[in-house]
Amino acid sequence: MGHKSMKIHIKLIGVFRSGRFKEQSRDYPVGTKVQIVVKDLMLPQKHLGIVLINGVHARVDSLLQDGDTLSLLPVLGGG
Amino acid sequence: MKFLTTDPVAVPSAVQYKRCTIDLQSGATTLEDVPCRNLEDVLGGFGRSYQVLAERQVDNAYCAENPLIVNTGLLTGSSAMTGMRTYFSGYSPIKGSKKGLPSAMWSTGSGKFGAKLKWTGLDELIFENCSEKPVYVVIRETVEGPQVELKPADQLLGLSTHDKIMALHAEYADAHFAVIGQAGENWQNVYMGAVALSTENQLKSGEDKCRFAGRGGMGSLMGYKNIIALVAQSADKLKPLSPEVKKVNINVVKGGGSTRLQPISRGGGGGTWAAYDVMQAFHAVPLNNFRPQGNDLPEKLCRENVEQDYEIKSEACYRCGITCHNNVYAKNADGSRGEFLAKFDYEPLNLLGSNLGIHDAGQAARLIQLGDNYGMDSISLGVTISYLLSYNERHPEKPLLNGASFGDYEKIRDLVIRAGEGELPEIGRGSMRLSQATGETSYAYHVKGLELPAYQPETNPGYAWAIAGGHMSMATYGLLTREGKADIDSWVKGITQDKLHMVGFDMIGLCKFFDIANGIGTQMVVDCLKSEFNLEIATDDIRAAVRRAFLRGLALELRQGYSKEEFALPAEVYEQPNGHIQLPQIATPEFLDELQKRVWAVFEPELEALSL
Repeated sequence: MGHKSMKIHIKLIGVFRSGRFKEQSRDYPVGTKVQIVVKDLMLPQKHLGIVLINGVHARVDSLLQDGDTLSLLPVLGGG
Repeated sequence: MKFLTTDPVAVPSAVQYKRCTIDLQSGATTLEDVPCRNLEDVLGGFGRSYQVLAERQVDNAYCAENPLIVNTGLLTGSSAMTGMRTYFSGYSPIKGSKKGLPSAMWSTGSGKFGAKLKWTGLDELIFENCSEKPVYVVIRETVEGPQVELKPADQLLGLSTHDKIMALHAEYADAHFAVIGQAGENWQNVYMGAVALSTENQLKSGEDKCRFAGRGGMGSLMGYKNIIALVAQSADKLKPLSPEVKKVNINVVKGGGSTRLQPISRGGGGGTWAAYDVMQAFHAVPLNNFRPQGNDLPEKLCRENVEQDYEIKSEACYRCGITCHNNVYAKNADGSRGEFLAKFDYEPLNLLGSNLGIHDAGQAARLIQLGDNYGMDSISLGVTISYLLSYNERHPEKPLLNGASFGDYEKIRDLVIRAGEGELPEIGRGSMRLSQATGETSYAYHVKGLELPAYQPETNPGYAWAIAGGHMSMATYGLLTREGKADIDSWVKGITQDKLHMVGFDMIGLCKFFDIANGIGTQMVVDCLKSEFNLEIATDDIRAAVRRAFLRGLALELRQGYSKEEFALPAEVYEQPNGHIQLPQIATPEFLDELQKRVWAVFEPELEALSL
């Protein structure tokens, strides 16, 4: 039996869009954590500030589920 | 400063700072070496000035007893990166309690004036009383030590901040400058006057690239005293970079702390402007007087949209490798760089842009530039105008002033100009007084009389305990948005333990971007103090001094008549919850009541033990 896959809808914010995309759906194996997606997209870890899964704050080691919307935001700082 | 010890925690009096007290009425100047009372005095900035302010009972900001204190921090003018800060302290014309008493306040900015002042040999200026005639003050280094001279300033009157600086630069080529604009000159009707600080870039390019100590109306206090400008004239005196400080500076640039603020071309996030993208993801970018509508309108001022029509150049403060400035220029027809317009930071761009219904980058840039040239705090100015526009929206049948509405650039521009000229006290005196006059206080976005920066109060109940305005003296602005903390325990801990430490930067002379997440109680700062001054100070001692300084600020607020009910958010937040903001709704009356109880339960015993 092959690995089951799941569909993750990814939203990138701000500087993360540069050379990538705003929104895109991608397939990942079941059991994928956020950090795998971050690596897959070659996002600079030091700039990753906020992870949202379906609009709720999550962590890079959070597990993704089929149909999740994953938003990746840069660090918020100062003003 | 003189260091007669390596242990200023045990023997603070063995550290002395050089103070000059200027009686503006008589013209007399007094120079003295003042022994430090504690580590706060050694570190400097508001940690020292608030102890001077605490010795005085001031009932009206515009009175002879209210001093204007201009000082630096221990690392101002040092080789530590970002060590450029100057502090302006006094009782504020704009921030005050409902009892009508002015609050103690400080404001700070970079630019090169602070380093130049330090290099004259002076650490602090205290201006007493008022000058009968407009003067500027020359502080110069001489072989006999620092000298201070008052000179007539009639030729500077009526000029913008930038023009004042360039006029003085023509006369004092090796100096740097702190000046007020027309707004500060019109202090009777403008309580939000800023102090503009000259930069190397400005003097070389001739472009209006000042930095500002904007908050709390210290420029208005300077205007009241009839001080139009300060000139610090000295040779540059940077010490050779030691291996220890070099290592720290590299860490500031390449460590995690500042990288998000660096230029996108270097892999950074592109300065504070990037907050637009992050906050918009939650529909939490202030719009039309802090009422986000859940739409895409704020995205028009996001960088990716602005850079299609404008040239954006990354620049830096003197010797700073962070390079957080995003200077926006017009594009010429041939695509080359045109006129410099403004520096785009999150706060002024939002509060003089989206929050006024202005979504055109060129128009927002012009409003920022106007406010800067007149020398007004962009936060107080933007928020007071947005209050007016919201009032006019609620009362179309009887609008105030020129009847401006959200998005009406020409009328908003007219308000800025007339406020800067002192013709509109309704705007110039800030949102608290305007809302008290209209009777509709719920829509005024200030806390304790000082306008809020561009983080929705729904996302930051910590504003209530900020002692010098908004997020720069209480770093809880990211607790909900960035960290996702919606529980009361996290907020009590954030306010009473972790996030207050941001104010340490306003003591020591460094910019907050040196290490914004960790404050100054760090090994990086310890290493700098050892290398620069041979001082042995532990991180815990620094943190304790910062906490005492913060608590002194709270104690001063209470002494100036603030009731605990004034430690609150604008009422509209509770009365008309904004369902468009896509974050947990923590700003409920119940949450805030509980927060009040628990935060004061931590602070009150310490306040009782603190002697002012």
